[in-house]
Parts: sequence; C-alpha cells; structure tokens
Amino acid sequence: MSSKESCRSELRIAIRQLSDRCLYTASKWAAEQLVGIEQDPAKFTPSNTRFQRGSSSIRRKYRTHEIAATPIAGVSYVATPVMEEDELVDGDFYLLAKSYFDCREYKRAAHVLRDQTGRKSVFLRCYALYLAGEKRKEEEMIELEGPLGKSDSVNRELVSLERELSMLCKNGTIDPFGLYLYGLVLKQKGSENLARTVLVESVNSYPWNWNAWTELRSLCSTIDILNTVNLNSHWMKDFFLASAYQELRMHNESLSKYEYLLGTFGNSNYIQAQIAKAQYSLREFDQVEALFEELMRSDPYRVEDMDMYSNVLYAKESFSALSYLAHRVFMTDKYRPESCCIIGNYYSLKGQHEKSVMYFRRALKLNKNYLSAWTLMGHEFVEMKNTPAAVDAYRRAVDVDPCDYRAWYGLGQAYEMMGMPFYALHYFQKSVFLQPNDSRLWIAMAQCYETEQLRMLDEAIKCYKRAAACNDREAIALYQLAKLHAELGHPEEAASYYKKDLERMEDEEREGPNMVEALLYLARYYKLQDRFEEAEVYCTRLLDYSGPERETAKSLLRGMRSSQSSLPSMDVERFPP
Amino acid sequence: MSGIFKQPGAFAITPHKVSVCILLKIYAPPAQISLPFPFSSVAHHNRLGLFLLSLTKSCDDILEPKLDELIHQLRMMSQNWMSTWIIDQLMTRLSSLSSPDDLFNFFIDIRGILGGPDSGAIEDDQIILDLNSNLGIFLRRCVLAFNLLSFEGVCHLLTNIGIYCKEEFSNCPPYEAPSLDDSSSNLETYSEYENMDLENFVYEKVSEEIEARKEANERIPFHLHVPNTLLSLVDDIDVPVDSASKQSEKVRVASPYGDPSSNMLRDDDPSGAVFLRTNWQVQGYLQEQADIIEKNGGAVSLNGFEIVLRQLRKLAPELHRVHFLSYLNSLSHDDYIAALENLHCYFDYSAGTEGLDFVPPAGSNSFGRYEVALLCLGMMHFHFGHPKLALEVLTEAVRVSQQQSNDTCLAYTLAAISNLLFENGISSTARLIGSSYSLFTSIGISLSVQQQLFVLLRGSLKRAESLKLKRLVASNHLAMAKFDLTHVQRPLLSFGPKASMKLSTCPVNVCKELRLSSHLISDFCNESSAMTIDGAFSTAWLRNLPKPTGSLLLCPENGSGSSSNVSQFCAQPTSIPGSVMQVLGSSYLLRATAWELYGSTPLARINALVHATCFADASSSSDTALAYVKLIQHLAVFKGYKEAFSALKIAEEKFLSVSKSQILLLKLQLLHDHALHRGHLKLAQKLCDELGVLASPVTGVDMNLKTEASLRHARTLLAANQFREAAAVAHSLFCMCYKYNLQVENASVLLLLAEIHKKSGNAVLGLPYALASLSFCQSFNLDLLKASATLTLAELWLSLGSSHATRALNLVHGAFPMILGHGGLELRSRAYIVEAKCYLSDTNFCVFDNYEIVIDSLRQASDELQLLEFHELAAEAFYLMAMVYDKLGQLEKREEAAASFQKHILALQNNKNEDDPLVSVL
Repeated sequence: MSSKESCRSELRIAIRQLSDRCLYTASKWAAEQLVGIEQDPAKFTPSNTRFQRGSSSIRRKYRTHEIAATPIAGVSYVATPVMEEDELVDGDFYLLAKSYFDCREYKRAAHVLRDQTGRKSVFLRCYALYLAGEKRKEEEMIELEGPLGKSDSVNRELVSLERELSMLCKNGTIDPFGLYLYGLVLKQKGSENLARTVLVESVNSYPWNWNAWTELRSLCSTIDILNTVNLNSHWMKDFFLASAYQELRMHNESLSKYEYLLGTFGNSNYIQAQIAKAQYSLREFDQVEALFEELMRSDPYRVEDMDMYSNVLYAKESFSALSYLAHRVFMTDKYRPESCCIIGNYYSLKGQHEKSVMYFRRALKLNKNYLSAWTLMGHEFVEMKNTPAAVDAYRRAVDVDPCDYRAWYGLGQAYEMMGMPFYALHYFQKSVFLQPNDSRLWIAMAQCYETEQLRMLDEAIKCYKRAAACNDREAIALYQLAKLHAELGHPEEAASYYKKDLERMEDEEREGPNMVEALLYLARYYKLQDRFEEAEVYCTRLLDYSGPERETAKSLLRGMRSSQSSLPSMDVERFPP
Repeated sequence: MSGIFKQPGAFAITPHKVSVCILLKIYAPPAQISLPFPFSSVAHHNRLGLFLLSLTKSCDDILEPKLDELIHQLRMMSQNWMSTWIIDQLMTRLSSLSSPDDLFNFFIDIRGILGGPDSGAIEDDQIILDLNSNLGIFLRRCVLAFNLLSFEGVCHLLTNIGIYCKEEFSNCPPYEAPSLDDSSSNLETYSEYENMDLENFVYEKVSEEIEARKEANERIPFHLHVPNTLLSLVDDIDVPVDSASKQSEKVRVASPYGDPSSNMLRDDDPSGAVFLRTNWQVQGYLQEQADIIEKNGGAVSLNGFEIVLRQLRKLAPELHRVHFLSYLNSLSHDDYIAALENLHCYFDYSAGTEGLDFVPPAGSNSFGRYEVALLCLGMMHFHFGHPKLALEVLTEAVRVSQQQSNDTCLAYTLAAISNLLFENGISSTARLIGSSYSLFTSIGISLSVQQQLFVLLRGSLKRAESLKLKRLVASNHLAMAKFDLTHVQRPLLSFGPKASMKLSTCPVNVCKELRLSSHLISDFCNESSAMTIDGAFSTAWLRNLPKPTGSLLLCPENGSGSSSNVSQFCAQPTSIPGSVMQVLGSSYLLRATAWELYGSTPLARINALVHATCFADASSSSDTALAYVKLIQHLAVFKGYKEAFSALKIAEEKFLSVSKSQILLLKLQLLHDHALHRGHLKLAQKLCDELGVLASPVTGVDMNLKTEASLRHARTLLAANQFREAAAVAHSLFCMCYKYNLQVENASVLLLLAEIHKKSGNAVLGLPYALASLSFCQSFNLDLLKASATLTLAELWLSLGSSHATRALNLVHGAFPMILGHGGLELRSRAYIVEAKCYLSDTNFCVFDNYEIVIDSLRQASDELQLLEFHELAAEAFYLMAMVYDKLGQLEKREEAAASFQKHILALQNNKNEDDPLVSVL
C-alpha cells in the first residue's frame, strides 16, 4: 500500500478536481476516504481529533493488517501522476456555468459553455447536458404514464452526446472525465462492451473518480468479465474489487479486501458500512449490529445502508432500537427510499402490515428499482394472506435482479402456501441455484418434497443432506433425515443421523421432544442389533425424562436383562457367580 | 395481480388519433347538407368511412401507423385527385397545430361534428356522426382523452405531432448513424438494431431465417449424420427459388405497413414518436398471433416475433399477456427454458386473470387462477415429452382446482390427463392418479389403469357436459372414441364368475362418439363472437386495400364502386370459430384412423381427403401433415412407391416450415419399406437406425414412434434371415406393448412373430402366434390385419405339408373378399401367390385342367409386385409361373417367365453390391 501521506495528497487534489467538474458523489466519496485515513500519531493536530475513533473496538477487531509504510510484497502500485489542470485560471464563463450547475440549472450551464473549448468546460457542458436529459427523463416517466404502465422514456441528449464524445475520442482530445461520461452514455445506449473498455481507460488514467468505478462495476456482471478487465494496480482498484466481489456474492473475498483496506483507511465509514453489508450477507447479525451502532455514533445523520441495519434489528426483534432508528432517519430525510423502508420494517415488526405496505410503496415510488422494497413488500403481502399480490411483488423483485435469491424463495413460499408444492419447486430450485450454501433454502425445498401431496421422499432426503452439509443453524435437517430414513425403513442411516443429531443437541445443550425421540429410537435400534451395552446407555438416559417414554425405556431395559440372562454360557463365563 | 399501480382507462390521445380525427372531420364536416365537398359519390364517401372504421379497429400490429403510412394507405384507397385533396387537407391541418391553444380549439371544433342526443330532429341528408356509432364513440373517446390530459400531456402531444409531421416532411435520417463497431459483439450489434426501424429489421431477420432454413434443407434433408448415400435416395426437397420469397411475402402480408413507400430508412431517433395502439387493438393483435402460432408455429419466426414482443413489453410493462405470447412462441420453437420462464412469469404477474378470455368471477376471488398456471405447465411438459413431470403437475392442478372449485379448469385438466395417458401409454402411473382423483381410493377398489382411464374420461365428459363446455365435450367425445377404438371394455365391477365378459371393442361406440363430437358445429352455426372477428374483418379489409384499384373505381357513377369490398367485408369467413373447426377436423382424422384400423381403406382415404381439403386452413399444421401422411401412405400401398415419393416431395415443400417430424417419419418409413422390398438390407438397417434416433427419449417419449422403430428393426432382421435376433426384438417389443396396454400394436407384433417362425421353417411354432394374433384382431375388429393374419396362417398350414393344402386354400378363400376389397398391392399379391401355391401343392388339383386359375393369379401377383419393386416375391411368382408352364409344356412362355425370374433374382443380388442404385430409379 502506498503511504498514507501520498494517498492523502492524491485525494486532496482529486477532490478539488472532481468538484470542479461537479462530480459531487465522487468527490463526496473521495472526501470520506480522505478523512477515513488514520492520522499518524506524530502529526496529531487538535483539529482532526473529531474524526478519530481510536477507541473503536470494532475497528481493532478488523485491523488484521498492520499499517505498512512499504508496499506489501508482490503488490506494486503504479504511480499515477496526478493530472495537471489545463487551465490554471478558470474562465469567466466556466465560473458562471459552474454556479448555474450548482443551482441545478443544467441547460443554462450548458448554454453558457457552448463556445468554450477548454477540456474542463467541454466536460462540464456535456455533463450538464447529460444531467438535463436525465432530469427530463425522470419527469417524463411520470408524465407519460400510460394505461398499460410506464412507457420507457429515454434521455434525449444521449444521441448528440455520444456523437460529440466519440468525435473527441477519435481526435484523442478527450480527458479521463470525458471518457467516464462517454462510458456512461454508451452504457445507457446498451453498448456494454465498448462502455467497459472506455471506462477502463478512464479509471486507468484517472483512478480517483469513484463514479467511474461504480459504473464499471455494474458492467462486470460475472466473475469472468471481471477477470478479463485489465486494470492498472492502484489502491483504488482494491476498493473497486472489494465492491465488485460483493456484487458477485463473493462475500468472503470482499471482506478480506476491505479488511486489507482498513489498514490505510482505518476510519472510513464507507468501508465499515461495506463490511457490515458483507457480514449481513453472511448472516452474522450480531457483528452487523455492532458495526452499525458504531457507525451511528460516528455518523448520526447517515441514511445510506441504514435499511440493512433495520433489517437486522427486525430479525432480532428489537422494537425500541428499530423505532429509534426510524425516528432518526425520518427526521433526517424522510423522502429517501431507505427511510421509507426502515419505517416499513418498523410497522411490519409491529404487525401493522397495511401501513408497512404503504411505506414500501412510497419507497418504490421514489425508486422503482429498489430491490429490497419489492421483496419486503412481498413478505408483507404474505403476512396479509394476499398471495397473488405477494407473488406479483416478488416477481418484480426478480425482474429487477434475477439473482435475488430471497425473492425466488419468497415466490416458492407463496406457492407452497397456496397448496401448489410442485409448482413451488421451480422457484426453490432457482433460489437454491443462486445460493447453494444456505441451508434454509434446502430445507424449504425438502419440506416441499415432503408435503403430503408430493411425498417424494428420496428427493427430500437429498435436499436435507445438502442442508445438513451447509451448516444448518436450526438443526432441522439432521432430525428430518433421521426421521425420513426411519420412515423409509433404512435403520442404519436413521440411527446414524439420530446419533449425529443427538451429539449436536448435546453440544448446544438443547433439550426437547427431539432428544427423547432420538434416544428412544437409538435404544430400540441397538437392542434390535443385539448391542445391549449401547442400548442400555440410551435407556438409562431416557429414564431421566418423564412421560410414557420413561416407561418404554424401563420395559426395554427389563427385556434386555431377561434376554441377557437367558443367554447361556457366555454370560456365565464372563461373570461367574 | 390485484393491482399495485393500476391505471384506469386505456385510451391515450396520440398524433395518429389526431389525424384520424381530422379525417373524420373531412368525412363529416359540421353543418353540411348531402355530400361534402371532395366526394363525388356516396360510394366514395362510404369508402372513406369504411377506411376510418377499419383504422380504429384493425389489429394487425402493435404500433400505430406513422404519417407516411397513413398517407400511403389513403392513396391506396382511392387514386384520384380526391385523395390528394384529402392528404393536403390533412397535412395543412396537422401543421397548423403549432401551440397548445390550437389543440384546444381543434378539439372543441371536433365536438361539433357529433350529432346531439336529439338526432331525430336533424334534416334528411345531413351528414352527422351518430353519437353511438363506432366512429362516434371513437371521436368521443378522443375528445374525452384530450380533456383529461394535463398541460404536460398537451405539450407532449404537441411535440409528438411535430415529430410525426417532420418524419413525413423530411424522409431522410437527420444524421448519419454513428459507427461504433470497433468492438462488435453480438450484443452490441443487436442493441444497435433495436434502434433501427423495427419492421424492416424483422423482415430482414425473417427472410434471413427462411434463407437459412432453406439452405439447411438443401444441404441436409434430415439428420446431420446421415451418410451421403442416404442423401441421394430421394432427391433433395428441391425448394424452388421463389419459395423463400413466397414465404416472406406471406409474412409481409401479416403486417402490411411495411409496404413499398416505407422502405426508406425511418428516423431512428429514439425519441421518435412510437405509439401503441389501443389496448383493445393490441390484445386483438396478440390474439391473432396466438392463433397463428397455434396453427402453424413454425411460420412465426422466433426472433422476429420476440423483438416485437420485447418492444411491446417496453412500451406497456403492465400488459402481462406479452409474457404468455412469449411462452407460446418459445413453445412452438421448442425452447424449453424460455418457455418455462415465460410461463411462470406470466402467471406470477397476472395470476392468470388477464387476457381476452377472462371472465371475472362473480365473487371476489382473491386467489387468482393459479390452477390454470398448473394446467398450462402440465401441457407444456406434455408437449416437451416429460410425461411424469406433466402428470405430477396436472395432479396438482386437479387438486388446486378442486380446492378453488374451478370446475371448468378441472374439466380441462382431466381431459388433459386422459390425453396424456393415451399418448404416453399407461403403465406405472396408477399411484399418481389414484392419489389425486380420490374417487377410486375412497371406494376402496383397485381398478386397472385402463379402467381408471375410462372412469376419468367418463367423469371429464360428464363434467364438461354439465358445464356446457362445448369444445371440451366434443374433444372428450373424440377421446372416448379413441378409447373405444383401442381398448376392450370390461365391466368396472365384476362379481363372481358369471359376470359377462365381452372381450371385444365396439365399433358402434366409436362411431357414436365420433358423431356426437361433430354435433359441435351445429352449436356454433348460429353463434357469433363479435369482438375478435370484428377486428379481424377490419384487418382483412385494410390488407386488401390495394386490390380493388381496377376499372370499377373509374366509373364513379356506377354506385357499386366499392361493392366488391363491401361484399368482402360482409362475406368474411363463417362465424364458426377456428377452434371448433379444428376439433371437427381432428374428428375426421380420427375417423380416418379408425377406418384404417378396421380395414376399410376407401373410407379411411375419404376421411383423410376431407380433412386435407376442408380443414387444412383451420387446423394446426401438424394435423394437416398427418392427413397428408395418411394419403401418401395410401398411395404407397396401392399405387407403388414412385407415386408416393412424388407426393411426398409435394408434402415436404408444403410443410417446409413445420417441424417435419411426421413427414420425416413417413419418409423414413417409405424408404425403409422400399429398401426391404428391393433387398437393400444395409440401407434398410441404416434407415432403421435413423428411426431409432427419432424415437430416442432425448426429445421425449413417443410410444408410437418407439414401437414403430423396433417393429421395423425386427422386420429388417427378419429380411436378413437373422431369425433369432428378430424374434428376440419382436419378443421384447411384445412385452413393452403389453406393459403399456398397446393392444392394437400387439396384434401386429404377434403376426410378425408368426412370420418370423414361418420363415425360419418352424411352422408349428408359428401357428400359435398366428392364432393369437387372429384373436387379437377379432376382439379389436381389425379386419384387414385379420385377413393378413389368416393369410399367414394359411401359409403356415401349407408349409406343414401338402395334406393341409385344402385347409389353407379354404382359409385363403375366406380372406379373399377382404383382401381384394381393401388390401394393398403387397397383401393382394401375396394372397394370389399363396392361393397358387395351395393349388399346386394340392394333390387333387390337376394342373393341366385348371392351369388358368393358377396362371391368372400369378400374373396378377407379378404385375402388382413389379409396381412395388418387391423382387423377392416377384421372383417367386415368376418361378411358379415358369414351373407351371414347364409342366404344361409351353416352352416359350416358360422361357419368358424364367427370364423375368432371372431378372428379379439378379436385381435382388446386384443391389446388394451396387453402391448407389436408387438414384437412377428415382
């Protein structure tokens, strides 16, 4: 990793350059990372203490890599020279245009710059045109809502922008920012391959534009594509890879990347949130909660990613924390899809599903492609027993992202609820295909096979086996496997699964009817196998329980004793009177 | 779904509608007495009216026509100065709309041409649009839609009208399309196409596809791995060069707006005005496409139609029926994965409650109609040849529709299940049906699978009758007929030994069921389903616009100028829906099959002919192909192979676009028969292997195909004198047929076994098989097969020694009426030869006295065999003839016969060595 100081100076210049070009999100991101770089204790200045969170326990937890001043072996970073600005003194027209732009008067800004030839001006003009088109597009989406749904309106500036940018590209007078915009335009027009190469060129020559990286990430939809992309090694590439891995559901790879980045950007909220995201996907809810609590402390007005926090709180059923969070984001910015989602979650937890649906709908109005809102709304409809609506909502989620296994799973569940297990299997298969390491999905599929209508027990056994193989937390699979094998008349398998289940229950110190059942089965099984010693062990354990099983155990013991005593010679030899 | 984001109303005002309004104003200017200005006659005036009506109704495309298309059509409509005047008017009025206020005024103006509610008060001759006429309603909807527009909407309308006009005024693209093909992957080029003119692109695609298909056909008649010798067996289907253009012409007709004038590249500005037609028209279009796919799936190009659907999906994301069409499209092109996806997608979105056929349930049923989803899914699995999956799904469908008390769906599902059981043979499915259809298990009686099927059919028929589902009743009758045809009826409950067991099928029942099924047509004669047909009329009328340009229009005073159109308009096809025609057609096909089995070839032929001539348009292409197959088979059996092959060529051309499995099968069958007759055993074996490939379970199990393949395999082995192997194959085939209850096939397998034993010289072993086959034939009333079994029996007796000659002769004579009346060439000649042999081996028979009988028979036989090119039997006939002549001392004739004998024997032997013999013959 290049030294913190060099990162810092690179970022400082980049922030200036980015905000000169009105790439606000990118400069925001860069500034966040700038502040996220840990201060060297030597240069501790009082003005920076605000951002120090040296006491953070979480941070220490993930600080596996010690800060190294020298690059880590094997990784050598290409030093990208910081771009020189071509116009040292900004033109007057540029200044006017930038003020217009800042006031969101895009067309006006573009008009002011119509005859300017400086690179910065050209970029700003194109970017303003692009944004004007986007704004108009969004408005038209509402205006043109037809009887059969929204018609797909397009950004009308794209064509002329593409023409101009491709011309610049051919002349070689395009700068990295222009390339970024060109990539953006190409992507919207659907020429993904070209867009990818253009964006790669852009980030290779100017790596600090996070916008370009995110566009590039959305174009790397498979791991193969990601591997073919030829990127210079720069520390920004690590950010990119980490987030790309996350998109591709390679959560562990992504986590390790982020942990590595924490070495330099120890205080970055962004990284912390991303780590929380990855942990959430790995279902480590406790850690996620801790991370978010920390994040809330350091950045109390944050709305981004907070919907995930609310999901965790929902799963842990912490009413008050969820309501606190909801209140907070509501006060911060109520017209953010995330805020609406959080409030929806809160109402859902309260059991007020109609209200919750209302808020999810609002979230969707704000962002039609807000994936989790569709899925969550589906859950609400399931709760309200409005299965057709649930199915519709889930299907829309799937159409937004065909890799969303939760929505597929929801679809399966909805159909299973309607008594169509065979139909549901299709959906479970889809979800299992996308997330083969989730035992819950396998168990759901197995239960589907097991239903009264299907009774395809062999398939159910296969599914339970997969579930047992991938860390089944609720420990349903082992028990079910044992039961199914017993039912199908495979005593050996049944006994071995009961035994495993028993061991597991002992490990986790759980008691319950399953325990009794397992003990009873094993006692009987070993008795039939004439392995009386084992049988006796299980019987004696059964004696600790009350209920009919105890009596059964007693009679079993009695039976064994009598048969043992009736066994001739052997006993006599071993235990002479 | 029961409505997230549901918008009321389905009528948006668009530039095209504005033009129609302008035309309406020209058609009926306010406060005009008698004919308005440009029209010289009432006929002309009416023609414009009809044109406008058609514009508002036709459903042949999803997009509204652009201005140039509209103008083109106007020109087509009448080709004199009048149309020019109208077009000028249209253009000037359109271009005068330059501010929102103009639009407001225009629509206020428009309202004036509507008659008031008190239309009785107006004078005669005054032209006023009736409020409630089709055009009046259209106009009112336009006005209403305009009034509902927000100001933004009005602005959009204005810009769109500007674009709409500009496209016409400047027909050149505004700029050169940028070329970015540096990294031209498929995806990229594709998305480029998307922006291009859709229709042109579709045509290109379609004609490309057809070209490709044609090429593929030229190169490879059937499988890719067929050796070259096979290719030359039958001359390749020589597609005439113009067939491609014919095809594309056909497609072109399907959406006429791509015609000459629109050949220029249209503006590919993505913001260009692309508007959907009204909901009603789009639905009508989809319905029409669905019909086309059903009838002849291969004719719709997969990609071309998919592009249309994709555009539709983009323009109307809430129109979920598109997914269903996508499903149908991929189904007809055997794209399993896409079909599955689209089916699920459609039902997920709409819960089966969208589409023209949906009648909202009386009570608020929040469940949706997922049982229909199951039914469709089951049919899909059935189509793709996954009977087990299909049965699982259909079982679930039965359960769900019982739960939802959707009787209609239940009836259809039961029909589908019985269909499935028929098609795929019945063996181990008992458990599934038993568990689903609780009737059986609840009574506690275990029925044979056959009986279950019977109960199922009866139940489904009754249900359909009580629900008055006429089509279903008819097709259930057909299914019953099929059942009666192929299954011996046993009483469901038989107690004690006295229960009567009548072990035969009942042809009367078959006949009755077939009759009942055709009652359907009378039910529909008086009905007319107005809506869809209305749209179809308009579409058809618009399509025929360019046709009547002839002399009639030049004499406008005639008054009958547009009579041809009017009659066309009224005399469009009968009001009998296509689906009814289809059921009727298949009843004729079933009749043909029944008669084939019962052994009356003329009747079978007539029924197939009726189907091919009367129902070819209405029924699906595979049904039509089947009718052709039957006719060609008939030709082969009665007229020899030459004619059959020439007919086959015609059929192959006709069904070029259809999945050719049936035709292909027929081709293989014919070639195989031919090869066997001519003694090309290697070739026969190859063809047999081909058949085996067709029957392989990769593409799903088809029991008929399977039995056919192994039957032919056994026959090939028999011809190669590998008796043991042949017997083994036949035996396993028998076991399979027995397992799947294919009784009719059993009869022929048994006969084959008898033949094998006969040929191997074990006449004694052969006898029981022949007798068993006979009894099968008897109980299933298979008269022709019975005759042929009798013949084999006679041969078997004969080979036991001359003492049995009389018995054999009696048998042959008994079978003669049937054989001569209905038998094919081969059977007849075989009978003649056997008869001759019987006479000759009979010790009491004196050759000198009665030689003419023998010679006559043999001559007949040899003539017919020569037609068939059946060398082996022909040689035998000539040999016998020579012997007889020898006995008689007629040396010349003997030499002649002997020469013929030699010729055939040589042909038989030479063929085995020659490489490519058939080419010269064909």
